[in-house]
Amino acid sequence: MEAVLFYLFGALLLGGAIAAMTSRSAVAAVVWLIFAFVNAAGIYALLAAPVLAILQILIYAGAIMVLFLFVVMMLQGPTLKSELKSIGDRKWWLPVGAVLVALLNWMHGVSLEGFTNDAPAGFGEIKGVAELLLNKYMITFEMISLVLLVAIIGAVALASNKKGMPW
Amino acid sequence: MSVVVPSLLKITFLLTIILGLVPVLIWVERKGSAFIQDRTGPNRASIAGIRLAGLVHPIADVLKLMFKEDFRPEGSHKFLYALAPFLVFFIALLTYAVIPFGDFIEIAGVQYNLIVADLDIGILYVLAIASLGTYGVVMGGWASNNKYAFLGALRSTSQMISYEICMGLAIMGIMMVFSSLRLSDIAAGQGDLIWGFLPKWGIVVQPIGAILFIVAVFAETNRNPFDLPEGESELVSGYHLEYSSLKFALFFMAEYCNMVIGAALITTLFFGGWNIPWLSRDVIVSNVGIVMPIQLGLQFLLATVIALLFFMRAKREKNKFGDNRDREPVFMGVIATLSAAGAVVALGATPWTLGPGAASIYATLLQVGAFVGKVVFFCWVFIWVRWTLPRFRYDQLMSLGWKVMLPLGLANLVVTAIWLALV
Repeated sequence: MEAVLFYLFGALLLGGAIAAMTSRSAVAAVVWLIFAFVNAAGIYALLAAPVLAILQILIYAGAIMVLFLFVVMMLQGPTLKSELKSIGDRKWWLPVGAVLVALLNWMHGVSLEGFTNDAPAGFGEIKGVAELLLNKYMITFEMISLVLLVAIIGAVALASNKKGMPW
Repeated sequence: MSVVVPSLLKITFLLTIILGLVPVLIWVERKGSAFIQDRTGPNRASIAGIRLAGLVHPIADVLKLMFKEDFRPEGSHKFLYALAPFLVFFIALLTYAVIPFGDFIEIAGVQYNLIVADLDIGILYVLAIASLGTYGVVMGGWASNNKYAFLGALRSTSQMISYEICMGLAIMGIMMVFSSLRLSDIAAGQGDLIWGFLPKWGIVVQPIGAILFIVAVFAETNRNPFDLPEGESELVSGYHLEYSSLKFALFFMAEYCNMVIGAALITTLFFGGWNIPWLSRDVIVSNVGIVMPIQLGLQFLLATVIALLFFMRAKREKNKFGDNRDREPVFMGVIATLSAAGAVVALGATPWTLGPGAASIYATLLQVGAFVGKVVFFCWVFIWVRWTLPRFRYDQLMSLGWKVMLPLGLANLVVTAIWLALV
């Protein structure tokens, strides 16, 4: 069951990613990327990380990609003609792809010591995540929120129509 | 096997309730708006002369929409245009998976929880699905290649993003009070009493959170006074302007499904879920011989009064229109009479003597009934508000969301945290 679901989500994820790269319309590309993110969430859920899976949908697929879609639509307008070139026009992706495949092949041979054990009980559950975030990694967690706060202040400053800072 | 069959039964039950409520809600919307505006409302559709006070209209709607041309505007994006209504409807139905519609039902000694997926992170799931709900609307509006539809989609996106934050903040207060993200825990926690007499409902412990949440849900479902994405006077009908046939029907049904979800979430988080105040499950089961006759007696009394009111209205307005419409209140009167008669028959059969197994099932039915009753009440509130309040202006909407509700939500969260730390 798990293997079937893994290959299903994996295939859909890859298909979505490929469609995102090859689609001629930028809006369709964003939609395919959202599809890929949702399937990545499915794989997280299979890896005993339900919180990560939900956050992936909530933050990446839900919040960030809405803004992407918003911007792409506003720039492209309601017309559907795209000026994007097809990926087939570019030849440099062949050597890059070959290197990537070689890397993946090498990684497959590396033994992941320390990562092959089963996850401890309650590892990916909300309680386990919360205990790690608010105890062991508290400082880092707060630092990240500080970085986000700076970004919010920057956005407000940029968006305010007065000259200079809003305060 | 032991998991699959009960799950399928639960999903079937929920889908029956939700999809069954949709045509009834459409009827209530039309008749309710007519009642509020002192009209009679639609009632001309009939099957062989039977009109059922306008209940035939949803059937006529479905037939009309099924046989309409499935139109696709020129220059629209073929795939996204077709995908959008399905996405909207699919996402509207997904949320029900985590909403508990009862405590548990005991059949042949086995307890089945009355929730499809009792997720540890049920609230986050609700928020995640709500955030996906935007896409169908945006895609539909954009793919139609129509500027009114596109403007509607843009309005809808910005509105949903803005009010999602308030919704999250309101939910966080509840999460902190009941210290769980599991919706069944939150529903069960609301069965307690504060100081021995006050039900510990969400609205009692989080009054500001409840108001913020209800307002945010109205905005998320794009219902009046937040229906700017549709705004008929400005945008014709917004994001589903270019849709016809069953694709439009899907958008239309999704709106009502979202309304039922909104009502179910308000009930579960702030109005006790399936709990009946002061009447816990144990009390019902051990005193079934007292509770059940009282419930049936109350049902009989209430139904009789309602039936009498409707019959009197029918008599009073006998010659108002001079045609079949004058007899409409009789329809509601007959339904109320049937309910009263059912109560009498049940009283005569004395089912409370059947033993503890039957008492347990009765308690479950009573709790599921309480949940469905509250959901139906909040669906009515949605309709009530729509036909009472005018629409916001767009800048008013944004300043309400960002300048009033967001600070209020944050303040509510801080006060809740301090209060919880002190108590």
